Amino acid sequence: MPATLREHVPSPLDTASDLTLADRAADGDVRAFEVIVRRYGPLMRVYAARVLGSNDEMDDVVQESFITAWQQLSTLEDGGAVKSWLMRIVSRKSIDRLRARRQHADIDLTEPAAPEHQSPHRLAEAESQTEALSRALVDLPEDQRRCWTLRELAECSYGEIAEELELPVSTVRGLLARARKTLLREMEEWR
Amino acid sequence: MTSPDEPFVAFDLDTADRELTHLVGHTIEELSDYLDRNRTPADPTIDDSPQCQIALRSLQRLRGVQRSLLSSDVERESERSDGWVRSILQNINLEARSGRDIPIAHPSPTARLVVTEGAVRGLLRATGDGIENIIVGRCRLDGDVTAPGTPITIRVDAAVCQGENIPAKAQALRQSLYAALAQHTDLTIAAIDITVRDLYLRPATPPSETEQR
Repeated sequence: MPATLREHVPSPLDTASDLTLADRAADGDVRAFEVIVRRYGPLMRVYAARVLGSNDEMDDVVQESFITAWQQLSTLEDGGAVKSWLMRIVSRKSIDRLRARRQHADIDLTEPAAPEHQSPHRLAEAESQTEALSRALVDLPEDQRRCWTLRELAECSYGEIAEELELPVSTVRGLLARARKTLLREMEEWR
Repeated sequence: MTSPDEPFVAFDLDTADRELTHLVGHTIEELSDYLDRNRTPADPTIDDSPQCQIALRSLQRLRGVQRSLLSSDVERESERSDGWVRSILQNINLEARSGRDIPIAHPSPTARLVVTEGAVRGLLRATGDGIENIIVGRCRLDGDVTAPGTPITIRVDAAVCQGENIPAKAQALRQSLYAALAQHTDLTIAAIDITVRDLYLRPATPPSETEQR
């Protein structure tokens, strides 16, 4: 049975806390779930696009994430932690997507070749810093980008990232350090 | 602000040895963690090293750019049409939350009427939503609701709008919940426990009653 769709009208639920909304949604309240979708959906879309390196599959990944979240909300012990819980779901779905893509292409599971560094001055002076960073992120090797997005966008701890990516914490730290150095270098070149 | 000709040697340090040498025994990773901790406890070997300070400034600058990239990305996504929200809501399965079947008495011996637990929780929420400045959160029906006559304790979490009198709001909610349950169910209510777990801010533009109804 599909949810009844209505125009979005302002409601006291819009300012309710994550805890209240997650508890209501876990009890079956679609309106509360809708407020959660509006509150964190945009961040999840940005996150998925960054991990996947494209916008093509973002809609599917975010939709799948929210459907899973709806099904599993009753297992979430602290409704106040719904944001990080959602970020972990979307990161898992994004990573599954990457794995599927790689298997499809029959490519080695370890690491795709990093794109050759192009002209150091390819970033036009007029480009804003955020655009420069955005490009630098796209150019990062996939495993570094995944660690970076989990750390900086999903605000996961090193331990959580290691668990998500099934890597030793020391490897995660190394990948993050490499990602940061690359980004710092790129930003300096832009400067 | 760093001067334009300030060297940024720290980030050309591709080998661990060079990194440690230039950052007086530290690494970019350590400096990044140091920033995460808001530079506490203070580490003089970092604070007194010009090279580390240059690296810290660059890391901070990168974070600033990260933040503005994220907020412009999120803003762009927030302004998109509602299509994706609708698509998600159309694809969730509402029946997953129906819970236990609660019998309702009927004069005919062959009729079997039930109301689902999920519907009763919906009734409790809707009743709460009819009262201003209180929002019902999680609802639990404790006791065997499938056996008529069993005393049931209703446990309700609620959030109250800041500035409201909490006991008065809770009492108003309790009375309304008793009335709604009596009208729509055959449950034997032993008690209604209300726990105010949360406060929330008044919505910026409260919707007017006439527009809502």
